[in-house]
Order: sequence, then structure tokens, then C-alpha cells
Amino acid sequence: MEKSRRYAKSHEWARLEDDGSVTIGISAYAVEALTDLVFMQLPDVGSTVTAGESFGEIESVKAVSDLYAPISGKVISVNTELPSQLETLNDDPYGSGWIICVEPIEADQIDALFDQEAYDKLIGG
Amino acid sequence: MAADEALARRSEETNSVLMRLYGWQPHTVSLGCFQKITDFSKAGVLAHWPVVRRPSGGGAIIHGTDITYGLAVPSSHEWSKRTEDLYSAVHGALVQELNSCDLKAKLVEVAKKDQEQDFYCFNRRAFGDLVVEHPLASSASGDCKILGSAQRRLSCVVLQHGTLLLRRNPQIQGEGSHPGLEDLLQSEAGSVGDVIEGWLQRLADQLGGELIQEAGFSYSKNNGDIMTRTKRYETTTWLNRR
Repeated sequence: MEKSRRYAKSHEWARLEDDGSVTIGISAYAVEALTDLVFMQLPDVGSTVTAGESFGEIESVKAVSDLYAPISGKVISVNTELPSQLETLNDDPYGSGWIICVEPIEADQIDALFDQEAYDKLIGG
Repeated sequence: MAADEALARRSEETNSVLMRLYGWQPHTVSLGCFQKITDFSKAGVLAHWPVVRRPSGGGAIIHGTDITYGLAVPSSHEWSKRTEDLYSAVHGALVQELNSCDLKAKLVEVAKKDQEQDFYCFNRRAFGDLVVEHPLASSASGDCKILGSAQRRLSCVVLQHGTLLLRRNPQIQGEGSHPGLEDLLQSEAGSVGDVIEGWLQRLADQLGGELIQEAGFSYSKNNGDIMTRTKRYETTTWLNRR
């Protein structure tokens, strides 16, 4: 059964994994709004991300968008393939298009994010 | 850059659309957010010019004979929803104003992929760029790009930067040299000042609001908010981030 995702208002998604880590990416809605992607800047493994603050940037042909951490944590892995294969975000934003994985500082912080139903309502789905 | 960032924060706090226009002294090169600093150092005579890095993307711009705008739109505003909507609003308003001066202005509808990574912003042709068909054009397409813009999309506000070329920069030769609005208007009715006033009024009309011009939101040592933000943009870490 696919693990459920939670979403931030800024369109990042977070998924709690079996080992307690949280995988983070951006939603299909956000990817579509960005249009043609050209560059991505990601944090280093070992760095700390803070909920609501920028942890990276993504550039499309006409806009640079900040990526905002949905929860606070320590970055334990980064999808290093992604910046050179940005089309993956279009093709599979919730699978191989994951961006970072963090060790959360507060395990229940993810519960404060939107569930699927609330997020669908947010984006008018 | 700091003043534009402060403008964005003020837009977010007041939930209002704000715009500032400014010139450059001395002549300066601004790089897009992700352009490589090593590309700038290879840019011949420009390598000795002052250089800054924008928070928005896109190509390098040679400032000094242009007017730059920073437009901040809160996320509650319909113009902030899609990237192309804000471009259409701002660039479209100028197209209408230029057309009223008998200049053949239009927005680029099909991006030229082979030019998308050109070092200079005004050598690129991306969707939504404003171009004018004119005999002074040296590009193969027969048009001059005179307005280019790029966005920085923050959590609660969108900041759009853009530069309107006013005239060809006499210090630049070759591929970085482009005609500006004054050059194109020489044989047509209207002045640059009239065009800019008309452009701003059209934007205000689209917003359904009043155009209020306010002096004083300037880069000044008396503005504590701007001076605090300046520190980030003055660091070599920011300039050499890529």
C-alpha cells in the first residue's frame, strides 16, 4: 500500500518512511506551474533544513522558485541525479523525482501538513 | 537587489502590488541567479565592470542605458498564480503602448531553443519576451528585444525584475550591443518618458486601481530594512554562488 503524503501550502510534499525518515519533493501541481525546468540547486547532506524556510532553488525558463522545507530536519540524502535529469520531476514527481530525505527533528511535525483531501481542495482539484 | 527584496516584503506585508523603477550608476552587469561567475570573467571588456547577481534567473544584462523595474505581487493577487500571467500583464501593457506609437511590438510566442542559454539576456528569445520589428534590428529574426524579465517566486510574494533598454550602450560593441527605445522611437511619435508613463497607466488600469507615484523608496543609507538586506548581496559568497 502506497504510503500517504502530506503537503505544505507551498506545494512541497512529505512522506514518512518506515525507518522514521521523511522524503520530500514537490507536487505535480507545482511542477506543472513551473513549466520548462533548467536548473536546480540542492542542499548538502548533513545540513539542517527548517520548516517554512528555503532549502533549495529551482529555475525554469522564466522564474526561480524557492523550495521550502515542510518540516525541520537533518538532510540524510539528496537526489543527486535530479539536477541533471529534471524531466524526472515531470514524469514521476512522487517517486524517482524525490528531492531530499531528512531525519525529522520533531516526528509529529508532518501531521500539521495538509492531507491529500485538503491539498486537493487547496489547488482546486 | 536589496531594495527589490525589501519591496517584495513590503508588498507581502501590505498585500499590495508595488513597483519601483531605477537606473544604474556606474554601468554595471547583473548576472542571473544561476549564471556561472566564470562565464562573466570570460566576457572580455565586461570582466572589469562592476557586477552583481540578481535573485531572479535569466541571462546577463548590461546596465547603464536602461531603466529597470522591480514589481512585487502578493500571492493573494491573481497575477501571482501562474508565471506567464504576470509576464502577459507587464509586457502586454508595454506592447499596447508601443503599438500606439506605431512601433511593431509583440511578444515572443515560440522560444528559440538554441538561444536560451546565451550569456546575454537580450540575445535570448524566450516565450513572452517583448520584441520590436525594426530596421535597426541586427538579429536574424529582424527584431529587437527591448524588454526582458524574470521572476523570483517566494512563498507569499512574486518579485518580477525587468529591464527596458533605452538606448544602445556606447561602451559596448558586438554581441552585447542592442538598440533601445530611444533609438527605435527616433522616427516615430512619442518620447521615452511618455511611453513609460503610458505603460504604467495601462498597468494601473489593468489592476483597476490608481497609479500612485511615491518618491523615497530608494537605495538609501536611511532605509534600515534595505541596508540590512544589502549585506547578503554584497558578499562574495552570493556573487560566486555558482
